[in-house]
Amino acid sequence: MSQTVLVCDDAIFMRTMIGDILSQAGYEIVGEAETGVQAVEKYAELRPDLVTMDIVMPDMGGIDAVREIVQQDPDARILMCSAMGQQALVVEAIQAGAKDFVVKPFQPSRVLEAVQRVLG
Amino acid sequence: MDLSQYSEIFLAESKEHLGAINGHLLEWELNREATEPVGAIFRAMHTIKGMAATMGYQLAADLAHRSENLLDAIRSSGDPPDDDTLEMLFSAADALEKTIDAAVAGRDPEADVAGMVGALDEAARAFSPISEPIEPAYREAPAPTAAPSGPGCWVDVRLDPDCALKGARATLILNRMRAIGEVLTVQPSASMLEADNFDGRFGFRIETTVGEETIETEVRSAGDVSHVEIGAPMEAPKTDVSGQRARHIRVDLRRLDALMDNIGELVSTRDTLTRLARTRTDPELDDMSAKLSSLTGTLQSEIVQARMTPVWQVFDRFPRMVRDLARQLGKQVEFEVEGKDIELDRAILDEIGDPLVHLLRNAVDHGIETPDERVRTGKPPRARIVLSAMAERATVAIRVSDDGRGMDRQKILAAGKESGTVDEDVEVLSDEMLMRVLSRPGFSTARSVTDVSGRGVGIDVVATHLRALGGGLEVRSEHGKGTTFTLQLPVTLAIVRALTAKVGEERYVMPITHVAETLDLEPTAITELEGQDGMTLRDDIIPLVHLRDVLSVSGDPPSGRPVIVLQIGERRSGLVVDALTGQQEIVVKSFDPPKGTLPIFSGATVLGDGEPALILDAGGFL
Repeated sequence: MSQTVLVCDDAIFMRTMIGDILSQAGYEIVGEAETGVQAVEKYAELRPDLVTMDIVMPDMGGIDAVREIVQQDPDARILMCSAMGQQALVVEAIQAGAKDFVVKPFQPSRVLEAVQRVLG
Repeated sequence: MDLSQYSEIFLAESKEHLGAINGHLLEWELNREATEPVGAIFRAMHTIKGMAATMGYQLAADLAHRSENLLDAIRSSGDPPDDDTLEMLFSAADALEKTIDAAVAGRDPEADVAGMVGALDEAARAFSPISEPIEPAYREAPAPTAAPSGPGCWVDVRLDPDCALKGARATLILNRMRAIGEVLTVQPSASMLEADNFDGRFGFRIETTVGEETIETEVRSAGDVSHVEIGAPMEAPKTDVSGQRARHIRVDLRRLDALMDNIGELVSTRDTLTRLARTRTDPELDDMSAKLSSLTGTLQSEIVQARMTPVWQVFDRFPRMVRDLARQLGKQVEFEVEGKDIELDRAILDEIGDPLVHLLRNAVDHGIETPDERVRTGKPPRARIVLSAMAERATVAIRVSDDGRGMDRQKILAAGKESGTVDEDVEVLSDEMLMRVLSRPGFSTARSVTDVSGRGVGIDVVATHLRALGGGLEVRSEHGKGTTFTLQLPVTLAIVRALTAKVGEERYVMPITHVAETLDLEPTAITELEGQDGMTLRDDIIPLVHLRDVLSVSGDPPSGRPVIVLQIGERRSGLVVDALTGQQEIVVKSFDPPKGTLPIFSGATVLGDGEPALILDAGGFL
């Protein structure tokens, strides 16, 4: 059975791209979230193996979403998706419990490496 | 700020790092796939760079920086280094050493630094053909230079050069570490890491129950890590009984020497005072003399301890030397060093460097065969030379052994008979006789076994040198199997007990190391031995040497003269002097005898009354 992923990003373009990269590599995209609040709800509902989390999202940012999710499930595996220049935010997310991060613009190979690290 | 006061410390530390660089280069040369050497070399280069830059030695800093770039390029390429690249790194280390020497001495560098810099850059470009900037664009934030000591083990991490958000990556790694242990110190500080205020290199100390492999796996699995180096767990700071930390300072060797000399004279003075006290019956003087005696003893042992130095300080330059020589001579050598941490008195250590260079050169040049010859005789093409130090009771044995062709005893036996060193009727040359033939001054008939081409220094010089230190040299050799030279050394030489003797108006001293006994020369015991004076000693007849004759002292000898019976190995002889004046502890000062000096002295000393005296070399009379 393939591993399940919840993709959280406010941009459809990004969700699509991440979804493509991961599904082509054999992961199963079980859900998508456009906001932090959605992310927290869907996590509780779907209990995916992995969450990809954008940092800047409306209605609760990615970092707060990480905190909430980790509170629900301390073993949650969350991969942050960040842009260059978001160093401090990524650090904060890691302190909050995120397991790894990838930096935009995404290179598929790097994204997959990170996913494997988190799931490994 | 006046930086010159730091130049000696800078020089000493740089040399240590250069020694490490050479050592790791050699390791790398043997095992090209190994990943540790490049990191270690990189760190050493980096440390030198930082120090040299601080000192204002721009050329040296630049050279180190370019070397770092090349190492970085090699590492990023993931390919093992080829011969040319290693050769370049060896040359870079040499050039760096020369540049540092010159900078410290205030001279212009002898090495072609500009040429070297160009060559390094070119080599680095060859490794990373994509137009990556050779100058890394990182900020020179304070990078870890030295692992602060403490419990647990120190881990150095280097992130991939193209790692994005290095600070976040470092934070991630540290978080992973916190899951497996306690992270104690981070360098640069965690806040600097988080602010991305570093160049991709950082280190931390972790106290954990998991093994080093797990630590490394955990660090690497955090991603974007190009290098992990885990240092040996550092001991917790040593504390003495009072709970104070043991602290070290660097002391100029000349000060220690001066202190040693003074203590040597103090010891002599004490001996004189003790003798004086014995002749007077004054309890107060006796008391003071005893007190002084005990204090001097304590002081002496303290200073002796302070002078102890690990042998690696001399050994460390040999792997490179052996490698270079072997290459030059077309030989293949696996060189091993054992017992690097054995300690010797600094003065002894300084003296054994040259003898060891000689023995090692001999081993490479004449001891071992060419790869072809070895294969023909059923040996592996790569020869083995081992340099080892081993503590044996009050002495340290340093051995140089090779698995080469061994010495041709028949040839040496013939040479020994020719020179009269070996009796005509001897058929088998024992190791002891072999040594005797080898250590004949100017032994040249079998030059090829004792002399390195063009150097003109023979085993005799090595042997004399060692006796002067109160040590000895032994050889074992098996034809076809190899040769081992053993240097027996006192752990501390500086002060030895010696007999004082008088001949004519002069006083001489003979270290008791090789003195078997002393006795009065009975005229009835004098006999003849092979046309020379001999003496009956119990059931044996031993040769007699009259020191008066050797020294060409004119006038009539006093009657009732004493004999010092000397013994080295199986050989004995009696040395006739005018009078024995006592025993005392002397500080040995080696000396370079002027040309024409009789080969019977090994050094000089200052007696208790402040007068100088020559030290007799037992080997010169045997």
